[in-house]
Amino acid sequence: MRVDPCFFCGRPAWPSKGITFMRNDGKSFRFCRSKCHKNFKMKRNPRKLKWTKAYRKNAGKEMVVDSTLQFAARRNVPVRYDRELFAKTVKAMERISEIRQRRERIFYKRRMAGKRAREVAAARKLVAENEHLLPRLRGSEKRRLAELAQETGQDVEELEREELAKKAASKKTKAFGGEVKRLRVRTDGGVEEISERVAGGGLVDEEDDDENDFEDVDDDDEMDTD
Amino acid sequence: MTWKDIAPVPTAQEFIDIILSRTQRRLPTQIRAGFKISRIRAFYTRKVKFTQETCSEKFGAIVSSFPILADQHPFHRDLMNILYDADHFKVALGQVSTAKHLIETISRDYVRLLKYSQSLYQCKQLKRAALGRMATLIKRLKDPLAYLDQVRQHLARLPDINPTTRTLLVAGFPNVGKSSFVRSVTRADTPVEPYAFTTKSLFVGHLDYKYLRYQVIDTPGILDHPLEEMNTIEMQSVTALAHLRAAVMFFIDISEQCGYSLKAQCNLFRSIKPLFENKMVYVVLNKMDIKTVEDLDPESQADLMDLTKSGNIQLLRASCATQDGVQEVKNTVCEALLVERVNQKYKAGTSSNGTMGSRLTEVMSRIHVAQPADGVLRETFIPEAVKGLKKYDKADPERKLLARDIEEQNGGAGVFNVDLRENWILANPEWKYDKIPEIVDGKNVYDFIDPDIEAKLAALEEEEERLEQEGFYKSDSDLGDESEEEILQKAEYIREKHKLIRNEAKMKKSLKNRAIIPRKMQKKSFAQLEDHIDQLGVDTEEINLRGRAQVREPTRGRSLARSRNATEDPDAMEVDTPKSAAERLRSQSRPAQRGQGATNRRDDGVTGGVGMDGETARSKAERVAKLGQRKMNRMARAGEADRHIGATMPKHLFSGKRTVGKTQRR
Repeated sequence: MRVDPCFFCGRPAWPSKGITFMRNDGKSFRFCRSKCHKNFKMKRNPRKLKWTKAYRKNAGKEMVVDSTLQFAARRNVPVRYDRELFAKTVKAMERISEIRQRRERIFYKRRMAGKRAREVAAARKLVAENEHLLPRLRGSEKRRLAELAQETGQDVEELEREELAKKAASKKTKAFGGEVKRLRVRTDGGVEEISERVAGGGLVDEEDDDENDFEDVDDDDEMDTD
Repeated sequence: MTWKDIAPVPTAQEFIDIILSRTQRRLPTQIRAGFKISRIRAFYTRKVKFTQETCSEKFGAIVSSFPILADQHPFHRDLMNILYDADHFKVALGQVSTAKHLIETISRDYVRLLKYSQSLYQCKQLKRAALGRMATLIKRLKDPLAYLDQVRQHLARLPDINPTTRTLLVAGFPNVGKSSFVRSVTRADTPVEPYAFTTKSLFVGHLDYKYLRYQVIDTPGILDHPLEEMNTIEMQSVTALAHLRAAVMFFIDISEQCGYSLKAQCNLFRSIKPLFENKMVYVVLNKMDIKTVEDLDPESQADLMDLTKSGNIQLLRASCATQDGVQEVKNTVCEALLVERVNQKYKAGTSSNGTMGSRLTEVMSRIHVAQPADGVLRETFIPEAVKGLKKYDKADPERKLLARDIEEQNGGAGVFNVDLRENWILANPEWKYDKIPEIVDGKNVYDFIDPDIEAKLAALEEEEERLEQEGFYKSDSDLGDESEEEILQKAEYIREKHKLIRNEAKMKKSLKNRAIIPRKMQKKSFAQLEDHIDQLGVDTEEINLRGRAQVREPTRGRSLARSRNATEDPDAMEVDTPKSAAERLRSQSRPAQRGQGATNRRDDGVTGGVGMDGETARSKAERVAKLGQRKMNRMARAGEADRHIGATMPKHLFSGKRTVGKTQRR
């Protein structure tokens, strides 16, 4: 029994799942699901489909060159069972995968380096161009505050600033979204829990890549690769 | 060398029939007087030529199917000469050949004549003449053809004698037991009868000795008289003796039961001795069960011994009746013949100075028998354990236990499971029944199995340590400063705003089956205006917006009630107006508020003309409408206001044959 990588997408194809195609020259093609099988039958090139491992590797989105990747291989040399060797191997596998995860994390970090700077630059430009859309106080509110200031003797400007800040903060989550708890993996291996407010539904910003980067498969298809 | 597949030769009459019918069949007369003469000529020319071609072909086949005497082995040539008379044979074939040439000449002549024929009749007559002459020629071949057919039949029955192979030739006086001998050593079924000249032609049998095939030829008996007086039967024997390179076995019946004296037999031997030149000759004394050599009188004995004196002639004894010595005779002769032939071949292949020819060398190298080097004797080796092995016996309680026995002891087939791991060869036999991990964390363990995994892992750890020291893993979390955070937040706000604006625009744009109303005509309520100005940060009370609005003139153009986006002035007072008859009617059938939509189809667009207010205009319009409807009502026609249910199955969508495609598309 073995877990073969899917010929098309590279996902592990577990026993009893998917389908195997045996070509009449003896080559076998293992597919993890009907989607991959169908795409194969349509003669699609996995390197050109964004959802396959082949694409991601080809596009430099995944770690390809690393010493940890050289441990697993079909050697085609039969080795007699040896309890100690197997025990050692299983232990080694754990350690290798640990190191590999760490390196993949770093790989990702490096790949994402400079993303925030670009984001901030884009945000600056957007704000500069759309100053008029920023929250501001209504005329009636201004009047109300002025009256309040007269009554209490506070500074009008300060009251206005406070009100504005309140408005800006409350605006986003007024209608949708809520608090979300996420696990963030740090490069040193630690895990921290963060909670943040996000807007839900159609208002979610698609480019919040930095936030969900602890997942294995990340949907980062932005400008840094092309 | 068989002549079994010579095609039968038809008689002259048959021949004519074959040829003429074939001509008729292949070229039926499809010609009429009205045809062009060139066409008629061409047809008859074809007919004549075709007949000639058929004749030539047939005659050619006959001539070529018979053997050419000059090309045959001398034995066969002589045999045929004796049996069929070579001259006669040659003449017959010659006649056939000549006839073929003559027919060709006739054809040529008549084809030439046909070229000048003027009519259909003339052509026909010429053709008849040509075919007639050909038939006459064939008729004259009656005798040769009959003779050739007889020859063919006889040739097919001739024994298949190969003059070059290993051959034993049995000769002697009639009735001395030649055929009995052949019968007892071979599978041939030679006739044996107790009278002279039972065998009237050559017979061939075959025997195997040392895995080699020998040919035994049984000859008819020979009488002791000059060659010129010998008949055809005897001449066959003589031909065989003269031409076949064989071991000759001369049979002598010393019991004289054959009817000829021993002396006569010896004399025959002497007289045909010239034929035994360069041959191995054995004198076989047959019928030893009746009389042995020792029983003979000394004179006869001396006569016999005298035969064997000259050359390498051996005396053998046998009795075909009791089979005594028959096999010995056979073995002796065959062995000697084999040795003799090998020697001859060896001699023929070796040149005078002793070097072997290429062919002989090739053969000799092929029959080389390899022996172990240095003369070491290699004996078969049987291990001691095998030597002492007891023979397997099912009844023996201490027999070796087979897998089948084990299966039987453990519940039999279907219950017993074969222990496949039992004979595993592992470093430690205790591991045999370990549960071997195959998949760990979604990875194949076997892919990682590597005898030097430890070293490789150590190398990896080392690398890891180095990277750690180099600061490969150092995390520089770039938490942005305050201002960046603020900018991002603002940008976020703006994006959201953009989306809302876009959404609103989209909603506004979708017509939902309403007419496009120009922006200019769209009414916005005062409250909206007020809200918008307020939003922009201007206090509406301060600028007294509402006060200004109230002093404004009533607007021209369309009434506010027609405003599209339900933007009727919310501040407008509801005024009770006297309802018309139609309005009252409707208010009874429908709830008052619901029916009052944005549009009023009854009143909209009805404006009074010059000197006419809205009400009069309305009543006028109603009168006109009724007038227009009058005719329709009188004829009881269905008008536009009548209740109408559209066809649920419109014909154009459901009729006709279906082919590919959708049901709605016809």
